Amino acid sequence: MDKNLNIIGKSKPKLDGKERVSGRAVYGHDIELPNMLHARILRSQYPCARIKSIDCTKALGLEGVKCILTAQDVDVNRIGYKRDHPVLKKDANCQRDEIAAVAATSKEIAAKALNLIHVEYEEIEGIFDPFEAMKEESRQINLHGKGKDLYGNKNIAESFHYSHGELEKQTKRSKVIVSRRYELPRVTHCCMATSNITADYSTMDGRLTLYASTQVPFLYQRDMAHALKMDPSLIRIIQPVIGGGFGSKLDMYPFEPICALLSIKTGKPVQLLYGREEEFLASPTRQTMIIDLTSGADADGKFTFREVRITMDNGAYTSWGATTPFVMMQTYSSLYQVAACDFQAKAIYTNNPFAGSFRGYGNPQATFSIERNNDLLADELGLGKDEIRLINANYPGEITGQGLHFKTCGAKPALTKVIEASNFIRKNREKHKGRYLKGVGLASMLHVGGGAKIYRSDGCGTRLKLDHYGYLDIITGSSEIGQGSETVLAMIASQELGIPMKHIKVVNTDTDVKPWDVGVHASRTSFVAGNSLLGAIRLMKQKLDRKAAQLMECEAGEFLYENGLIKRDKKEIRIDKVAREMHFGSPNELCIVEYFYEPESSFQDKQFMGDVSGNYAFASQAVEVEVDTFTGNVKVRDVYVSQDVGRVLNPMGLQGQIEGGVATGIGYALTEEMIYEKGYLMNPSFHEYKLLTAVDMPDIHFYPIETLDEAGPYGSKGAGEAPLIPTAAAIANAVSNALGIEFLTLPLSPEKVLKAWSEKKQNELANSQSI
Amino acid sequence: MNFNIESPTSKEELLNCLRNHQSGYFRLAAGFTDLLIELKKSKTEELTVINLSQIKDKQFTGIDIQPSGIRIGALVNVAQIGKNQSIRKSFPVLQQAADALASGQIREVATIGGNICQASPSGDLSCALVALKASCEILKMDGTIRHESLNDFFRGPAVTSLQKNEVLKSIVIPANQTNKLKSGFIKIGKRSAMECSIVSISYHFQLGADAAILHSGIAIGAVAPTVIFCREAADFLHKLNVNKIHETDQLKVAELIQQSASPIDDQRASAWYRNEVLFNSAKSIFEQD
Repeated sequence: MDKNLNIIGKSKPKLDGKERVSGRAVYGHDIELPNMLHARILRSQYPCARIKSIDCTKALGLEGVKCILTAQDVDVNRIGYKRDHPVLKKDANCQRDEIAAVAATSKEIAAKALNLIHVEYEEIEGIFDPFEAMKEESRQINLHGKGKDLYGNKNIAESFHYSHGELEKQTKRSKVIVSRRYELPRVTHCCMATSNITADYSTMDGRLTLYASTQVPFLYQRDMAHALKMDPSLIRIIQPVIGGGFGSKLDMYPFEPICALLSIKTGKPVQLLYGREEEFLASPTRQTMIIDLTSGADADGKFTFREVRITMDNGAYTSWGATTPFVMMQTYSSLYQVAACDFQAKAIYTNNPFAGSFRGYGNPQATFSIERNNDLLADELGLGKDEIRLINANYPGEITGQGLHFKTCGAKPALTKVIEASNFIRKNREKHKGRYLKGVGLASMLHVGGGAKIYRSDGCGTRLKLDHYGYLDIITGSSEIGQGSETVLAMIASQELGIPMKHIKVVNTDTDVKPWDVGVHASRTSFVAGNSLLGAIRLMKQKLDRKAAQLMECEAGEFLYENGLIKRDKKEIRIDKVAREMHFGSPNELCIVEYFYEPESSFQDKQFMGDVSGNYAFASQAVEVEVDTFTGNVKVRDVYVSQDVGRVLNPMGLQGQIEGGVATGIGYALTEEMIYEKGYLMNPSFHEYKLLTAVDMPDIHFYPIETLDEAGPYGSKGAGEAPLIPTAAAIANAVSNALGIEFLTLPLSPEKVLKAWSEKKQNELANSQSI
Repeated sequence: MNFNIESPTSKEELLNCLRNHQSGYFRLAAGFTDLLIELKKSKTEELTVINLSQIKDKQFTGIDIQPSGIRIGALVNVAQIGKNQSIRKSFPVLQQAADALASGQIREVATIGGNICQASPSGDLSCALVALKASCEILKMDGTIRHESLNDFFRGPAVTSLQKNEVLKSIVIPANQTNKLKSGFIKIGKRSAMECSIVSISYHFQLGADAAILHSGIAIGAVAPTVIFCREAADFLHKLNVNKIHETDQLKVAELIQQSASPIDDQRASAWYRNEVLFNSAKSIFEQD
């Protein structure tokens, strides 16, 4: 595919950019259907309680209230990855539990009706600590959990074990061994648009249309059908403009079938919108994890083994988030060369809210623990933090202990780049004095770059339609949730077919129209949908080539596509004319093609061995911080990012992904935390949940590495999740470098930092006095 | 959120409005950046909101510079304060506090009167104004004016001396008596915008020809039930040369400031943290960079 590229690799603004910034974009909140009702959900008053009775009489008496549903009014299946999650609850298991739902003629009436529903609770002492939950005497938290049979403990929701290499032998030959327990906090996505759905059920034909903000419309359609006991083909999913996904829309949540049920019961369209407080209370979070990691290295600094035990707080129900160990085990087994690895992760039921999936999918947590331990190993061996990483860096052609095959690998170039650009070696050794102490930290990451074969298919379908006037519709199975892949698709089509960008439309929001795709996750869309599109373009070109040859009366074969023309030698013809002649001339066909692409990746076996992705992305970050020892505030000054993206498709879009990812990573490192006390969320607002703002952002220096991996479109790899994965680890390493203090938990809040600094100063004082 | 709203456009209409609602439940608001959040969580059926934002009267909306001082109408928004050249020159502490408040969007609508009347112990403008020894001009329902120092105006968290028949009209800051100043606002929080102070310190020192401190004002925020004027620390600094304050005196000032605080633990920070940071920040006022 080595040819002159005039579109790919040149910055293009996002296709939906103008609509979004001007307010023209139609989000779920903007949808208004005739006779539409408004829904609200009554959530539990307690994180854990028996419900003795629910009395809706008063609420039903309120004028404008059309329907109220409780668990006993509906005949539905349980939802969630483990099917352990009732849509409406008979008893309360966490603060966000849905007890009743109201549909009314206005939002105000629906809100009022909630206050009139009388629920009699019997509060039960909840279990909020996963270690407590695992004790024999603790009661079973989720009665639909199968932990006792499957994993020998009633409160284990999911468990993974993986290993490679000879652990004992590698432990013995280790010169240094570092063991630490890390605790990672609960954070949330903070999507600009709150959760929303509009359900429109027709009593005429029994069809259900859902305007839903999902990242995975086809899996969602199937999940919804299962929940509602409906035929999936009767459910049409239309995706309005999505105001942020970041993984939060990978699962279907109870509010969605609830809204559908209200529409089915009333025969009217029903809309359900979260307010911001409800968004904090009731939308998914990143897994909080306790990670016990032991790492070893031999005298030469080569990593010998990693042994890790992870305890994840699953919350009351199980979502896709419980499968984050799939990703984490890749990181433990294969980020840097490791001779042996033993990995165990358990998701434990508690009465906390359930966690979901979040950009990075467990990888920020795993990377944090590994990269902290790597710094400690380097210290003990007297090696530079850069050296130990370069010694162990992944390399092209490597097949890791888990069977990941790195056909191309930019790990070492990325590391080298950020080490040089940040002046890491000098800065890491500099000692500072005074109020503001500077430090620099390094971290790398490994993530799938060519999809991930977890579901039975990791594919994507594309239909292409060239009209009589030379305009192209790309009907793709993939979805746009802000990541910029639809712009990349239009760029690919423009590059290949010589059609100007403004003549190309991407149609991607309707399951009745678009072909199947597994969804937006695993940094897969530009890779999988891009390859699918290239397949479709090949088919379309075959058709156009045939017709063009006929019209230009020349030999069959390939033509050049440029500026709306199909050319060979000195002959040329307009592409729209070819399309028209295809239709009106014999044998009268339309210029429409369809292609389905399935990546060549393979499933893992039962021991989790296998090459699950079409290719792999590598990245390193070096971060420079300045710590104010008067306040404990950590200021991130510069972030140096180098990432193996295969090939840069749209520089502007990629830069946006890098900056957005780093922003989320900085928040994870420094300020974001959902604070729970006995199952109650204490900070459900942007006032107290400290999402960083534009003025907090440092300078981000980005150096792409192009390894031109043949599996990806033009050699590209997935890039979306990577930029946030190593950020928190690099920041923690930088803060440790600045202060000479180890931190085992996130976020590195000013108070935590100042407290550690004060203790260090006091200890130093005590030591100097005792001498 | 359903409530009645009345929007007087002049002082007279405002006074009428006040008279009409004396027996009922009403709230005053201008920028609504705090009130709307509060009302989302409370019952509003019987409530009348008196919307002050339509009042055109210069006494409420203007910044008036006089030889004796500067009068800022209660309806002046925070962005106007941050941009005002006279304030920038004469009262840097106030300009810095204005620029540190919330975000650019909120500063365009939030008013100085609202920030004061919320009586938040962490109010940024309040902290600066107490250090500047500002006073309030309070319009009574009978049309007369009551004067009170801002320091006395604050009575507790979210409590002021303002009565039901009164409305804050304007704030007066006395003119500087010298031209040489050391004046600034220190805000400690977790992020650089949209942040409620965890600790704040305002200082405003007027200096003689030899850099001696002739008049001083220091106030601290978010470390006591109200903004606190640190009288002992201010007195201690009298006549000291601002450029040559010895390290032991710097520590003494920090100690005196810390002694006037009585912080508590809350979700944003512990009392321990507030105490430490207050001391460290106070110490930093006179550190030469």
